Amino acid sequence: MKLLDLPKRLGLVSYRNQAKSEIKPHIKVDTDICNSTCPHKCTTYVCPANCYTMDDEGKVHFQVEDCIECGTCMYACDQGAVDWNYPDPEIGRGVTWNFG
Amino acid sequence: MMDEKFDCIIVGAGIAGLAAAMTLARNNMKFLLIEKGEFAGSKNVSGGVLWGHDLAKLVPEYWKEEDGGWERFINHRRLTFMDDQSTFSVDFKSSHFNEPPYSGVVVLRSKFDRWLAGKVQEEIDKSDYAMESFIATNIKVDEILMEDDKAVGIRTGEEEFHAHSVIISEGVNNLLTRQVGLQDDYVPADHMLTGIKEVIRFDQKVLEDRFQLNGLSGMSNEFVGYATDGVEGGGFLYTNRDTISLGLVAGIKDMREKQKSPHDILNTFKSHPVIQDTIKGGEVVEYSAHVVSSGDKRVMPKELYKDGVLICGEAANLLMNAGKAIQGMDYAMRSGILGAETIVKAKERDDYTSNTLKEYKQALAKSYVMKDINNFQDAVHMLHNPKMFKDVPNLICDFGRKFFTIDNEPTKKSREMMAESIKEHSSYWDLIKIGLKGAKSL
Repeated sequence: MKLLDLPKRLGLVSYRNQAKSEIKPHIKVDTDICNSTCPHKCTTYVCPANCYTMDDEGKVHFQVEDCIECGTCMYACDQGAVDWNYPDPEIGRGVTWNFG
Repeated sequence: MMDEKFDCIIVGAGIAGLAAAMTLARNNMKFLLIEKGEFAGSKNVSGGVLWGHDLAKLVPEYWKEEDGGWERFINHRRLTFMDDQSTFSVDFKSSHFNEPPYSGVVVLRSKFDRWLAGKVQEEIDKSDYAMESFIATNIKVDEILMEDDKAVGIRTGEEEFHAHSVIISEGVNNLLTRQVGLQDDYVPADHMLTGIKEVIRFDQKVLEDRFQLNGLSGMSNEFVGYATDGVEGGGFLYTNRDTISLGLVAGIKDMREKQKSPHDILNTFKSHPVIQDTIKGGEVVEYSAHVVSSGDKRVMPKELYKDGVLICGEAANLLMNAGKAIQGMDYAMRSGILGAETIVKAKERDDYTSNTLKEYKQALAKSYVMKDINNFQDAVHMLHNPKMFKDVPNLICDFGRKFFTIDNEPTKKSREMMAESIKEHSSYWDLIKIGLKGAKSL
């Protein structure tokens, strides 16, 4: 059986409020912390939806659109950079599982 | 209507919240069950097998329904040790498990919780508060309202709802539990794992033939070793009606230290030659993730109650894998029932303070949930020892390869083969330590 890469896997997820162009992010990340004092930048590899990425210069960026609300980053980040909440049902993103 | 006070507000329509709601409805309580998702179950993910008989208490004779919320009952268990090439399994299948009430059913939560919520609604309709108790979806609770450190309701946006009591069954990412001061604001990664899984669809006939399923019988298979690519945790495979749930849990702290990604580990697991044969021809239809706690007591909230509020299910980190099964949903169900029963008592006494609510903790302590969690802490620690998810599976598979090799050379005695495998992957002393710990912990 062929293995799926992450974009294909995330393509199977039903996200909420996809028609809305502006959504309210449910997670706020202080990337200044990631890019100054964090020794591991671990969110860039432990997030199952790859919401945290590292550019060529090693800087961490965050996008909330692909988040599947698992919570991994909230525990993994021990630097105080992640302010985690649940998405707003009306104006947030987040998931509706078909199987769960 | 909404200005009136509820006996109880339940936050979260997962298994704990639904079990609590069912219990409140049957006891003629006026309550509000709030769910942030589109419908009950829409944001919930589990492995997952719901173990034990509590479902039969909650929904009597649920098995008689043609298309109930569950997938398959378990009559086939398998524990598999895995190295990079091989698997060595302990396999148990018995018709003893064929008759209801089943000792475990596989569920997919988006379907199961929605079905269970329908059953709760039926009970509400039969109760004295048919028009005054509600299941409300699409509402996110922003805050538990506290007065003099007693919970008096909830706030969502600008709106407030008031109640004599609140049951927090919000799940593992327990922000409200933290807000009311029962858990620290930051929960470190040490005893938390990320669960990820794929739901893989097959032609139903293919699935039934491949896993030797008969009617609605099903299999649960746990994996130790290569499945998690050297990271603390384990893999799982459960059969649904026409899909399988294939996934793993991986320690968050261990991934952080070893610089591993859960989705890469899942692909490593899926690339294993034995798994390849198992999932051949399947089509992935969903990819999901959900954090779980390890079952280590140290990560549980400081307390499970305070004036006007109780914590149930995964919000209390009631989950455990002690090697025999991964239990969480059954703990959620029992804790939801016990929590609601305590609220019923509180109403009778008109005392919703800790004085009454502490009885929830007492009831939970007397139940199998806390007894098991207390009794099997050593097993939990042992399973999270690197020896258990690396050396032991490698050693067992190495022995298996030697034992089952027939190469027209004089065959060594098994004892010698075992000695070689042990030398290669561990030491006698390490194994004696694990053996002693294992004997004690199980």
